[in-house]
Amino acid sequence: MFAERTNKVRVNFDLHRESGDLISMSMTENDYLLEVKNVSKIFGDHRVLSDINLSITKGEVVCIIGPSGSGKSTLLRCINFIAPPDTGEIIFEGRTWRKFHSKYNIFANNRYEKGLPSLRSDIGMVFQHFNVFPHMTALENVVIGLVRVRKMSKSAAREIGCKQLQLVGLADKINQYPEKLSGGQKQRVAIARALALNPKVMLFDEVTSSLDPELVSGILDEIRRLAGVGMTMIVVTHEMNFAFQVAHRIVFMDQGKIVESGTPEQIKNTKEPRTQAFLSSILT
Amino acid sequence: MNTYQFSWTVIQNHLPELIDGLIITLEISLVGMIWAIAFGLLLAMMRLSQYRISRSISYGVIQVFRSIPLFVLLFWIYYGLSLKFNIKFSDFQAGAIALGITGGAYMAEVFRGGLNAIDAGQQEAALAIGLTRSTATRLIVLPQAIRIIIPQAVNVYVGLLKGATIVSVIGVADMIYVAQYVSLQEFRPFELYTFAGMVFISLTLSIAGFAWLLERKLSEGRSNV
Repeated sequence: MFAERTNKVRVNFDLHRESGDLISMSMTENDYLLEVKNVSKIFGDHRVLSDINLSITKGEVVCIIGPSGSGKSTLLRCINFIAPPDTGEIIFEGRTWRKFHSKYNIFANNRYEKGLPSLRSDIGMVFQHFNVFPHMTALENVVIGLVRVRKMSKSAAREIGCKQLQLVGLADKINQYPEKLSGGQKQRVAIARALALNPKVMLFDEVTSSLDPELVSGILDEIRRLAGVGMTMIVVTHEMNFAFQVAHRIVFMDQGKIVESGTPEQIKNTKEPRTQAFLSSILT
Repeated sequence: MNTYQFSWTVIQNHLPELIDGLIITLEISLVGMIWAIAFGLLLAMMRLSQYRISRSISYGVIQVFRSIPLFVLLFWIYYGLSLKFNIKFSDFQAGAIALGITGGAYMAEVFRGGLNAIDAGQQEAALAIGLTRSTATRLIVLPQAIRIIIPQAVNVYVGLLKGATIVSVIGVADMIYVAQYVSLQEFRPFELYTFAGMVFISLTLSIAGFAWLLERKLSEGRSNV
């Protein structure tokens, strides 16, 4: 999948050469799809994130691990501005996003708010507690984003919705309300809902933590499937074996900071005492 | 022994007027409720806003209008505004506005309670797929909150329905006004007021029944997980 990325860059490169543009363009442009730059987040007196930097290339699968309360989930929520970072910025596809809030200018705040959906709709997110919409059927859950955000017609949206639900193995549950679904099925609806919008990055926030043990592997298989088709993903997880299998890069966080990041091999053989302590506490 | 002889024929004789009065009562309480819903929703949105100023204003308005007796409010709107500011309302309008304001203050708390009861994850998930804040509230949070809101809104309406009897003091020809008027002619206040009381009991009970059905219908096949 990294080869694919280089290909795309090459295509760009050729296009520009043909059109007589500057050829050096693809050299200066960096290849990161998503960059987190100096992001901090403070809740009251508590510094949940301090000065986080993270860059992700297209097709990369990054797993974030660390003890609870280390700010992993908050980092994900900063990326799509559900909890806007207090300082720092997110650069997504070359566009820079910063927190904005005026105490007095409501119109400026509104204008800013109106811009955020264009960032969020390209970033899919799946939550620990599913957060499927209980008053809508599985299909309606998936379709609402297509109709309201992508402005598709209802029939086109339903078609995509059915296809996405099929892909996550819920072809026979399309018209069920979440109440009638198991935890694993709800989480599949949530995954289909995010994927339907054809996001460029997927964020997974401990998506198996509130599932019954026998349902965990099914959801992890869905993430593997996505990794297989080259989806860029940031996965916060406590499933270490899974993380080491599927990740291109593992990021270890503790107390709101990135302690260490590297390939699964590097992290496994780490010399960092905090990472070692965390891994041994989990893996034994 | 001096026993009062009930004579229900007075009701029969004056049934058409009483029914006209009842219709006025229902009309004024319904118009009042519509105002209460609109006003309450506005206050609730202000109360849940991210701006402190709007939260404080809403809080103040709710507290004040919940504390003013309907009777006083009615006098102010009908007589006070016209005397002091030359803003004139018809008796029906004044009644509906007074009911709307009092009801709105109660409805605001009902809406706020309902909206707050919905898990914050719902709003987050809605934002995450790219819905705007207002669309998320309208399509995701509000429809779920409705189930919590409806039973309490019915309570507010029953309150308004009974409150609507006060409008007779400014001359709205509601059922109480008619009962009063007829009893002055016929000297049969017991029969007339008892009848009015019975009508209110049956109204209240049937509204409660209707709300119960509506609540069941709304929660069909849906839970709050």
